[in-house]
Amino acid sequence: MTIPYPLLLLAIPLVGSPAAYLAGRALKSEGLARWLARILLLLDWIPWSILCVEFLRGDSKPILVPLQMLNLQIDGLSLLLSAAVLVLATAVSFYSGPYLAEEEGQVKYYALLLTLTGAIIGLGCATDLLNLWLWFEAMTVSTFFLVTFYHNQPASLEAGVKYLVQSAAGSALVLFGIALVFGSTGTLSLQDLPAAIRSFPNTMPLEAAGVLFIIGFGVKAALVPLHTWLPDAHAQAPSGISAMLSGVVIEAGLVALLRALLPLMNVSDLWGPILLGLGALNMLLGNLLALRQTQVKRLLAFSSLSHMGYMLLGIGAAVTFLQPEAMAGAFFHLLTHMLMKGLAFLSAGALLYALFLSRGKHGSLAITDLNGAASRYPLIAGAFSIALLGLGGLPPLAGFMSKWQIFIGSAQTRSGWIILLVVFAALNSVLSLAYYAPLVNAMYRKEPSDAVRDGNSIALSMSLPLVLMAAAVVLLGVLPTLVSPLTSSAAAALVHLGGTLGMIP
Amino acid sequence: MISMDPLILVLIGMCGVAGVGLYGLLASRNLIKIIVALQILAKSAVLALVAAGSASGKINLSQSLAITVIVVDTVVAAVGLALGVQVRKHFGSLDVSNLSSLRR
Repeated sequence: MTIPYPLLLLAIPLVGSPAAYLAGRALKSEGLARWLARILLLLDWIPWSILCVEFLRGDSKPILVPLQMLNLQIDGLSLLLSAAVLVLATAVSFYSGPYLAEEEGQVKYYALLLTLTGAIIGLGCATDLLNLWLWFEAMTVSTFFLVTFYHNQPASLEAGVKYLVQSAAGSALVLFGIALVFGSTGTLSLQDLPAAIRSFPNTMPLEAAGVLFIIGFGVKAALVPLHTWLPDAHAQAPSGISAMLSGVVIEAGLVALLRALLPLMNVSDLWGPILLGLGALNMLLGNLLALRQTQVKRLLAFSSLSHMGYMLLGIGAAVTFLQPEAMAGAFFHLLTHMLMKGLAFLSAGALLYALFLSRGKHGSLAITDLNGAASRYPLIAGAFSIALLGLGGLPPLAGFMSKWQIFIGSAQTRSGWIILLVVFAALNSVLSLAYYAPLVNAMYRKEPSDAVRDGNSIALSMSLPLVLMAAAVVLLGVLPTLVSPLTSSAAAALVHLGGTLGMIP
Repeated sequence: MISMDPLILVLIGMCGVAGVGLYGLLASRNLIKIIVALQILAKSAVLALVAAGSASGKINLSQSLAITVIVVDTVVAAVGLALGVQVRKHFGSLDVSNLSSLRR
């Protein structure tokens, strides 16, 4: 074989994207673009599985991707992120078939879904700051189009403008940070940075660079004062894209932040406490804002903030006390949050589709519209409930296991105030049930609303991904060790990036 | 005559350009002006990259970075202007204070 397969992981979605677009346009067939996207996403699992097996057999050594100037390598974190994006993109590509059946511009939608997938996989594999920024921008630009997919709806234009302005300002700040790092150390490689920093006496510019990275990437990761684009974009995008945004894009922002920040770990002791503080803010504000929402998709969007907070708690504890266990928990939560939040957005979208979109109404799904949905849509309501209860952290589901691992990992630091934060996070988790439970209650215990009675049926290709994802949420809750080789090597990959500080993977 | 290090000049220029960009971003209400301000901000980041390259003695690398960044920012500007066209079509004006129907 002339093309090396590590490259295929990236090449399939990235080359497939223009191919799907051109084929779909040339033959004027939306179905062709759709099926090409589905097949290519399924095909991409083959290089992923080969790489995963090779990686886990090879003592978790990073695998280099040979691509001339671009230095890419596949480590635990890249595998984890690409698994997350592939799961969700595959589900979304099947789900969106009926969801968008009536809409214009589907060819673009599927082509951009492939680009987004490829860009996020690339972001996970980047080994230098500029590469990281480029993939990050590729991801951002492809989501601009997807967020404003309904470009005849004023609300989605508004969401798109907010998203674009905030993202563009954020990425300019990241560039300033990169310039500071490059100017002081003369290297962009994330591998060489820790060593280069040690020989560099003046830490001031590097501290400033770290702060710029936190702010710049933090816009995408929805760290609290910078989150204002998120609820609008998540609520106004087509539901498949809401799932992608909440399930992988903000997590990709977090991964980019960690990749850029952790090589600067030696520069300041404050990174860990800053991440912990932002995490606490995210948890509290996300929950409080979600409590007052009346629209289902906005509620789910705000709850993403609090889940980002749980991840930041694990990561912050890991960075402050060099505790890889907590970081592995955070990455496990990244994976389970992708499944649960993706599932929640997709099932909310399925109901939105059945009750409004398929009847030609461009409304939003209010919580009261869910009343009695279980009697008419038992499958969707079941999947939605599993997702919501999992997000709330009820025991046999995946969300409980990942939060548990974060809490245990953080508590192992034996530091008083981290344990206080863990208690705070646990209380937040209980508080979050105050807005998840009413949704489940509405679906199962209320009389059917008019909207539910008049709703259309839901196609199989829409409900099948939901059922499979719900099964995965339960499975990961029962067997959380299934993914632990990946999550712990992802933590090890970052720790390795953070320099040799005596942290053993 | 005071001799000035060209690097200092570039840095002063960069701060000035960044200031203009930030001011424009915060002060203007017109979507096109906001996109122009974003571009100015991004261009000051490009200046920063060039300055960084000359400070660390790797000007070749930083020039290629600068060109890459310019290309990427042009893409963002194009998308922003396309959004502007749609906003003008559906709202009748480019004033971003009209874009406030989505509340928490």
